[in-house]
Amino acid sequence: MANKAIQLPRRQFLKTAVATGSAALLGSTIIPSSALGLDGAVAPSERVVVGGIGIGNRGTYDLGCFLEQKDVQFVAVCDVKEKRRTAVKKIADEKYGNENCKTYIDFRELLDRADIDAVLIATGPNWHSTAAMAAAKAGKDMYCEKPCTKNIDQSLILAETMRRTGRIFQAGTQRRNLPHFAFACELARTGKLGKLKKVYAHPAGMQALMSGWLPPEAAPNKEVVDWDMYLGPAAWRPFNAKQLDGFNFEKGGGFIGAFNGGGVLEWGSHCVDLCQWAVGDCPPPVEYNAPKDGELVARYENGCELIFREKGWIPLGSCPVRFEGETGWVEAGDSGKLVLSSPELLAGREVAEIGGYPATFHVRDFLDCVKTRSQPKGNADAACNAHIACHAANVALHLGRTVKYDNKTNEFIDDAQANRMRSEALREPWRL
Amino acid sequence: MLLIRHTTRFLTLLAALLVLTISSVRAAEDKNGSPQREMELLAVLRSDAPDADKALACKNLAIHGSDASVPDLAKLLSEEKFASWARIALEAIPGSAAGDALRKASESLDGKLLIGVLNSIGVRRDASSTETLIVRLEDKDSEVASAAAVALGRIGNEAAAKSLRPLLASAPAGVRSAVAEGCVLCAERLHATGKSADAVAIYDEVRKAEVPKQRIVEGTRGAILARDPKEGLPLLMEQFQSPDKVFFQLALGTAREFPGSDVDKALAAELTKSKPERAAMIVQAMADRPKTVVLAAVMKAAEGGEKPVRLSAIGALARVGDVSSLPLLLEAALDADDELAQAAKATLGDVRGNGIDAQIVSLLSKAEGKKYPLLIQLVGKRRIEATAALLKAIEHADKTVRGAALTALGETVTLKNLPVLITQATSPKRADDAPIAQQALKAASIRMPDREACAAELTTALDRSPAATKTVLLEILGDVGGTKALETMGAAAKSKDPLLQDVGSRLLGKWNSVDAAPVLLDLAKTSPDVKYQLRGLRGYIGLVRKFPMADAERAEMCQKAFDASKQAAEQKLVLDVIKLHPGIETLKFAIKTIKVEGLKDDATQATLVVAQKLGSKGVDVKELLSTAELNKVKLEIIKAEYGSGATQKDVTAVLQKQAGEFPLITLADASYNASFGGDPAPNATKQLKVQYRINGKAGEASFTEDALIVLPMPK
Repeated sequence: MANKAIQLPRRQFLKTAVATGSAALLGSTIIPSSALGLDGAVAPSERVVVGGIGIGNRGTYDLGCFLEQKDVQFVAVCDVKEKRRTAVKKIADEKYGNENCKTYIDFRELLDRADIDAVLIATGPNWHSTAAMAAAKAGKDMYCEKPCTKNIDQSLILAETMRRTGRIFQAGTQRRNLPHFAFACELARTGKLGKLKKVYAHPAGMQALMSGWLPPEAAPNKEVVDWDMYLGPAAWRPFNAKQLDGFNFEKGGGFIGAFNGGGVLEWGSHCVDLCQWAVGDCPPPVEYNAPKDGELVARYENGCELIFREKGWIPLGSCPVRFEGETGWVEAGDSGKLVLSSPELLAGREVAEIGGYPATFHVRDFLDCVKTRSQPKGNADAACNAHIACHAANVALHLGRTVKYDNKTNEFIDDAQANRMRSEALREPWRL
Repeated sequence: MLLIRHTTRFLTLLAALLVLTISSVRAAEDKNGSPQREMELLAVLRSDAPDADKALACKNLAIHGSDASVPDLAKLLSEEKFASWARIALEAIPGSAAGDALRKASESLDGKLLIGVLNSIGVRRDASSTETLIVRLEDKDSEVASAAAVALGRIGNEAAAKSLRPLLASAPAGVRSAVAEGCVLCAERLHATGKSADAVAIYDEVRKAEVPKQRIVEGTRGAILARDPKEGLPLLMEQFQSPDKVFFQLALGTAREFPGSDVDKALAAELTKSKPERAAMIVQAMADRPKTVVLAAVMKAAEGGEKPVRLSAIGALARVGDVSSLPLLLEAALDADDELAQAAKATLGDVRGNGIDAQIVSLLSKAEGKKYPLLIQLVGKRRIEATAALLKAIEHADKTVRGAALTALGETVTLKNLPVLITQATSPKRADDAPIAQQALKAASIRMPDREACAAELTTALDRSPAATKTVLLEILGDVGGTKALETMGAAAKSKDPLLQDVGSRLLGKWNSVDAAPVLLDLAKTSPDVKYQLRGLRGYIGLVRKFPMADAERAEMCQKAFDASKQAAEQKLVLDVIKLHPGIETLKFAIKTIKVEGLKDDATQATLVVAQKLGSKGVDVKELLSTAELNKVKLEIIKAEYGSGATQKDVTAVLQKQAGEFPLITLADASYNASFGGDPAPNATKQLKVQYRINGKAGEASFTEDALIVLPMPK
């Protein structure tokens, strides 16, 4: 099928194209930069003062996207690991030519600072929702890396909390701000593919590790690594250096010990999120089947299927998605390319091809929304729905049978076992 | 965020999880959990099992536990290392026993362990624990009192609200924020159950209390939205007047949530009163209410006034504008200020609404001056059918108009009128129109629904085109693709015209569908020019490399490519292909090539790679390998490091242990991280660097993470 499809000719990405035409393509609320005070030197009153929480490898990349924005002033970093605190301080201080970036071990001290408007949360996923909720309650807007939640209840509480506190939340689902993914979703959402029948996500395997309880080792000095703060809301266990990979520690959360994590969350929080956008950000599917022949099929209330599948993709790079309607289909991936069932779907539009998955546009979207108070692309409601779809799929995966989910009660239907997997207690003293 | 390394991981994971599922959950058990499993888990808790096992037993009891598990779990609530594990189960186990146990534990615990228990009571929304929590509101430990306040908020009943409200004024400063949080939670619940007056009263108390500003923000938002809209609106608009940015921002956000249309009128009025920097934001809030927005106010803001507000309003019209917005947007698009003009053009391209396209066509018929090319551009950008007007415009004296019209034709023309563009591209009346016409023809051709018909038109044109433009048409045919285009390209590559041969063979070499294979192979074999033979061969090899096909078919194509190769370089490319697509037939092919003179080392390496990949999938290749004339080598690993940048892990010993008699090292696991005892640099791109000797000759090689370790033969 791929051989017969129309692959768009590669076009050079021009920054100006994204700043103008593509912004409209994305259905953006982006307003011209000078309306936001970005046309020249940015007055202090127009700056967004940002602090970082848990800035490791991914966070450092995100931080770079923030630092290149003229209206950002990065003033503080918190990390339980000394090496990372000092590394991030160095980056910020070199950027500004001073030594003003403050460092913290406990993020609550950073959140207490009245001068900070927004935070970048790039801890491991174990901390994401707990830190995000704390930030919201402290009056901060936030860009929070994904997966944002560890279970269904956290997803719901995240959305409720952002509404209640009136905070701007941007999940680190940066593909929502890339033109080709946005275009593909728009085709699906606006009926250009006919009635939508199937949306496909690629939940590329994740490692089921970094949870459980490993043999105790001598813990380092608290200044070097604060193990208690590292564990945070995760159930207690003794220090073991192998678990210091925050990126994977307790990822996915909620399930049983050694196979904690579930297969679909790491990438699902991206590609399922795109599928959710394609279906109009409607509530998540209502039925999730056990995997069969390498596919896990979920079904939305309107009958459209959300299919998690590993194989059968056109080679378009990582994180591919595919949307099939009655009259056409589209597939897109991290190469920046789109493949369409018909060139007519392009309707004369040029879609900038941005390979990889840069977060710059997503960060800009967030900062614009911090100012306008509009909802960014990866807002809490969208993130909530996509994460619930992933968590519910994980429940079906774990139980090895079909589960049905009621979006009104937010419970699995007649399924006590599944319902018990909707949440997990946080370690004291943490709460959402 | 990580690059996909193993496309099979998901299936593996599914399989692994299914196995685990069957063993741990037991497929036959009902949806209420397994009593037998519960007994097994309790046995672990009661035994001398390691702490880790007990912790995981607690977690499993979250699914399988019942009242029977509660006493054992409750005992752990006072143990620092197990308390959080026990609460995982106790929060999940339905029924009163777990709630009773938490409540009872709260009587004897203190500090963090008590806080944890209070938090769990809140998560369970256990109304029967209300009194217990109320008592704890007075706890001298402010963290405990705060936990109790929030837990009461989660329960959210009248008793909870009644206990919390007075504390907004009287609680110690360290507890008051949590009390306010509890109050807001209670108010939310009351509002959701129709008790809006009670909710409003609580919200008002919170916003007037001496609590942190964020709590006041939450109270104010609630107070606005829980009120009858007529009463809520003045309170909302009051926030727009606040000198405090935080409350102005609150107003912007809450305005988007506010019901009814009166708020839209109020926003329109506020827009005219506000300073430009605030007005620019208010316009955005207005446009986020597309169903009830006062469009006239947005249009007025777009039409004149302070530039930041105009820019914001022009951008907003893309979402809420309609046909009535067209005149002002057209004027703005021709504004001397380029930023305003560009913003207006972007909006004109995107604004939706009935009658806009018709109005543009109507205006086009009588347009003059700068407005004429602008309208033509819009016809193209919006893909409006206006071919007649565009055909007229391509005859215009002004080059700008002609250029805009050609571009617009490229975006809108149908197959029927494609010859017009072909003529413009190949034989324009004015030579300087040719480049833009050719670009337009390309744009039109690649979006034609019937690409075979399009290719036929282009092929016909090719035959009668001047020599200089034939190559342009060939390039476009290359972009169109399909059977007819392929046929035309093959003919061009084998024509007698050197220029067509050159272009045709180059484009064939980049052809992106497998049906080009016979054409490419024919070119490789029969082209009179070696250069084009090579292009054909490389294009053919590229197809074998890129496209999915059966193992036997790939092996057959590899053999054909190999046979057509006149140089070792191409033969090595074929061997690279089979390394990417291991199969039994490709392995047989690789073994066969070992005997080819000058290729022994490369063929041996390819054979080993294919064999190793097949072996890792469980395919038995020993018998086949025994037919290969492989040379054993003496392999010595000198040094091996795995990591990223300065973070490197010495893995010399691991590789030395795995090194054998061939220049290939098979690790214990396909994952480097798993084989080398963990990830030395999480989330970073890692490399394995190896220094080695083969038959005494020193070599060095680097491998990306999880790549097969096949060591090149040192020169």
